[in-house]
Amino acid sequence: MDHFARLGVPAALDLEPAVLDKAYFALQRRWHPDRFVGKPAEERARASTEAAALNDAYRTLKDPLARAVYLAGLKGVELPGDGKTIDDPELLMEAMESREALHDATTIEAIDSLADQARQQSQQALTALGSLFLRDDKPAIRKALLRLRYLDKFAEEAQGRRANLVKKVGIANG
Amino acid sequence: MAYSEKLIDHYENPRNIGSLDKNAEDVGTGLVGAPACGDVMKLQIKVGADGLIEDAKFKTFGCGSAIASSSLVTEWVKGKTIDEAETIKNTDIAKHLALPPVKIHCSVLAEDAIKAAIADYRAKAAQKFAKPDDNEVERQEAVAE
Repeated sequence: MDHFARLGVPAALDLEPAVLDKAYFALQRRWHPDRFVGKPAEERARASTEAAALNDAYRTLKDPLARAVYLAGLKGVELPGDGKTIDDPELLMEAMESREALHDATTIEAIDSLADQARQQSQQALTALGSLFLRDDKPAIRKALLRLRYLDKFAEEAQGRRANLVKKVGIANG
Repeated sequence: MAYSEKLIDHYENPRNIGSLDKNAEDVGTGLVGAPACGDVMKLQIKVGADGLIEDAKFKTFGCGSAIASSSLVTEWVKGKTIDEAETIKNTDIAKHLALPPVKIHCSVLAEDAIKAAIADYRAKAAQKFAKPDDNEVERQEAVAE
């Protein structure tokens, strides 16, 4: 059973967070271990398997990028796993340039501005994914997801760099 | 987890960080990435008239092991022919730096980067020799301007 079916929600990119939450919490209650106290071992084992699968499904579908990657996987679009490399020049050039810009950013304002820009690009790319899925354009879906992975990494790095800078400024002022 | 001294040395004092002119005829550029961890690596070689790699530069955004792997490769390829440089294996890199198993993929990235740089250099060289007449015409035009 795929994650969407398990939670009883439509297999869609633009899943309403409230719909997902509601489905998850209802099912989580149904399979909660507390309700299986004193039940036969088989039933308890079943409940704990179901609960774990539900958590896994929820974790994946809650995050828009993880959800998109998962949905693409169901359609047969595989992304390179650990240790696999890519050489798409356009994609990597963009990633390289944005990371260089972040590396050169020395103020919190500059980092925030780059992070905002990356957030907007992510938003746009996620929105654009919808039509790629409709057209079932697998190479384009793959490329868009790889780009989103790099944007996601950028956001993570920007956050780390910002935190470091805040700490440094704090030390300098304190 | 303890990292080797060599790895820490390359990470703390990376060799050959920087860029070469990617449009230059004697420069080959390899740009590769590992999307699973968000790493991106650029490795460039400059090949002399004698066929030896006279300079190498890299720029890597990734973990310490990825930085150390690319730093090591730029050091290794200098003074080698491109055919020799092409034989560098990720296992050699991983062994030299004593990379922990979870970081082996960083050495794969560095091997792919040097291979891509060599391929780019070869493609440029092939193009240069394929159409000498056209190049000659362009050069003359450039002189005329």
